[in-house]
Amino acid sequence: MPTKSYNGGIVVPNLYRVESVGIITVSLPNKVVLPLNERVTDKAVPCVSVGERVLTGQVIATNKDYDSVPIHATISGQVTAIDDQLIAHKSGLKTRCITIQSDGKDEWIEQQDTIDNYLNLAPSVLINKIRQAGIVGMGGAGFPAHLKLGLLGLSNLCKTIIVNGTECEPGIMCDDALMQNYPEKIISGVEVMLHISGAERAIIAIENDKIDAHNALLQYISDERISTELIPTKYTSGSEKLLIKALLNKEIPSGGFAIDEGIVCQNVSTVSAIYDAVVDGKPLVSRIVTVTGSGVSSPDNYDVRLGSYFEHIVSLAKPSNEKHSIRMGGMMMGTDVATMSVPISKICNCIFVNNVAPKYDVKECIRCGSCNQVCPVDLLPQQLYWYSKSENTEKASDYNLLDCIECGCCSYVCPSHIPLVDYFSFAKALHRKNIEDKRRTDAARERFEYREFRLERNNKERTEMMEAKKKAIKEKMANEKGQKDKIAAAMDRVNKNKEDNAQ
Amino acid sequence: MHSNTLDSSQIMRQVIYALIVGVSVSFYFFGWGILIQIVLAVIAAIVAESAFLKMRNYPIKSTISDGSAAVTGVLLAISIPSIAPWWVIVVGVFFAIIFGKQIYGGLGNNPFNPAMLGYAFLLISYPLHMTTWASEFVSIGSSLDSILNLSSVDTFTGATKLDEVRTQISLGTAIETLKPYSVSQAWINFGFLLGGLYLLMRKIIFWHIPVSFLSGIFLTSGVLFLMDDNAYFPPQLHLMLGATMLCAFFIATDPVSSSTTPNGRLIYGFLIGVLVVIIRVFGGYPDGVAFAVLLMNIAVPLIDSYTKPRVFGK
Repeated sequence: MPTKSYNGGIVVPNLYRVESVGIITVSLPNKVVLPLNERVTDKAVPCVSVGERVLTGQVIATNKDYDSVPIHATISGQVTAIDDQLIAHKSGLKTRCITIQSDGKDEWIEQQDTIDNYLNLAPSVLINKIRQAGIVGMGGAGFPAHLKLGLLGLSNLCKTIIVNGTECEPGIMCDDALMQNYPEKIISGVEVMLHISGAERAIIAIENDKIDAHNALLQYISDERISTELIPTKYTSGSEKLLIKALLNKEIPSGGFAIDEGIVCQNVSTVSAIYDAVVDGKPLVSRIVTVTGSGVSSPDNYDVRLGSYFEHIVSLAKPSNEKHSIRMGGMMMGTDVATMSVPISKICNCIFVNNVAPKYDVKECIRCGSCNQVCPVDLLPQQLYWYSKSENTEKASDYNLLDCIECGCCSYVCPSHIPLVDYFSFAKALHRKNIEDKRRTDAARERFEYREFRLERNNKERTEMMEAKKKAIKEKMANEKGQKDKIAAAMDRVNKNKEDNAQ
Repeated sequence: MHSNTLDSSQIMRQVIYALIVGVSVSFYFFGWGILIQIVLAVIAAIVAESAFLKMRNYPIKSTISDGSAAVTGVLLAISIPSIAPWWVIVVGVFFAIIFGKQIYGGLGNNPFNPAMLGYAFLLISYPLHMTTWASEFVSIGSSLDSILNLSSVDTFTGATKLDEVRTQISLGTAIETLKPYSVSQAWINFGFLLGGLYLLMRKIIFWHIPVSFLSGIFLTSGVLFLMDDNAYFPPQLHLMLGATMLCAFFIATDPVSSSTTPNGRLIYGFLIGVLVVIIRVFGGYPDGVAFAVLLMNIAVPLIDSYTKPRVFGK
């Protein structure tokens, strides 16, 4: 058994594990809703109009910004609306989406040229293909895949590729299913990434309870640069920095990035999508989603078109008749959504359907320290809680509030049932707000001080000018006075002369 | 989503279960007094807590059910002489609950260990009652008589071993002739040690404080003993006498008032151990546990802020 790991973390009994991890391909949805800005910074511009017919895989919205990816139609049919719709986001706000009504034909755009040998193509060409295929990190963060690879293509920074085959949270099994069912795609995808990045090696990290997936992958590994590594099955192993720590015993500094150490991490789903994009020329139009939780009687993995509503696949997992709470992503870090009528996005790896459980009574913190035992980044949640609760963000950031990865291990073990992570994300937001406020007041104060300085300077300049002028006038007057005196003196002389002459 | 491990009130209940062994041994040697004291203490604790919660407009039932008041009561009842008059434990528990805990905002906000604050208060206020211990098994009738102040109890009382030994040493008696070992004390300590190991096993307390506390006691008394084995008693005696094991596993480990960082717990426990020996050897009180714990409670914020663990990637 491997011993490599990091501090903390928790082992969660997987309550809803299924016997065989398969993938069910879901029938086409009647309509799909595709948000234009999945990441906050994205602002894609539609390039189709309402009423237009689109084909599967057609680009329906583009983005000039290199950091963002285009959006594709995931079914063929008619664009029926471009308006604001509810999406699975914790804000509960609506965002601009394109709605496509299916014509049931699933007619694809003309396939882009498939590539027989991508080795002949320059990395930059392949990276562009990946961007055009709309691939983002499918483990949950949604970071555009071409950016991670794009940086490398230019400057051979990447020495090691880590392929993340750990499920990011207990209960999720879509990556396990993918590895078991499409191992060859993943291995080929890794080879593509090795070609693009010029990395020396690629490590596929798999949790040690996924032996079947591990064996499946091993069968297809022929490239000696690719290896696999089993790591202990515990929660937060899927977190990039902790995975790197577990595999390579390297700590990425706080605020630093994996690439600083020559490492690039990609999720197995992303790798598989990269394969589809590069070798088959197919854009990302579907993904595998786990539906699980206490509220469904047959949890499973579903291969579903992006933009389908949650209910489209949840109904297949035989939900109970009770009242449900719906969570996108894992049970630890997922996002609660109010309704099942929200679209499945590229980052939606799991839908948790739980029977609504009675809420725990929150009691006082007794500083037992269970939380700091499980914190994978070695924080002191019991102290952070104290300062977050009293909104003392300065002290909280002293205790490294900003390093909290919000994994939820502390909330999970807290014997007083305190929702610690909620306090921390609130405190983080407050901290950011305070910093912004401080920046603004500082700017305002500087502005004010400069204004004061300017007024004073102007005043001074004016007074100086006035004084100079006065002086000049005085001098002039004095001169004039001198003239007058001279004239008077001259007159006196003249008069005197006249008098003299007269005498 | 939440783990299936114990919640706060279950933790408190486990602490009480873990005390059973030590209390039974104490019962075996000194009789019914300890049980009567525990009953009195728990009732007083619940009454005091309820009254104060009512004044603060806090929910009474859900707070009482966390069990922390009962634990404070039981710990204080175990610490005082089993034949002390009833009002001693009642006053002590009221002081512990109200001035040790509620006045700071209730469970989780108290800087001091409430039971030890109550103990220190009693020791200073009623030194005679607090130092008169049963010297043999006392029947239920005699225990009640004594606790309810019905009759004189001189027949079965005495000072603690620690007190007795210190008095003898100060009178110039050599250690060897003293036979300072007390069978009953050693067994009671052993009982609390077993209970403590149970708590460790259930992961209700962490190992840091018991281990560092006991090493603090052992090393400090060991150094003194090496310096002069005629004037100071041997380290193993310190481990087996007084409230050593009770403190190691049940009192110093009170999570609320102890240090909360892993390294901080080591320092905190060790220094309590050092202070206990210093107070026992050089001080004027029968045992040093209460004052050592309270003194270190004061130092907790300082210890915590200097022992923050290194955060990942920093």
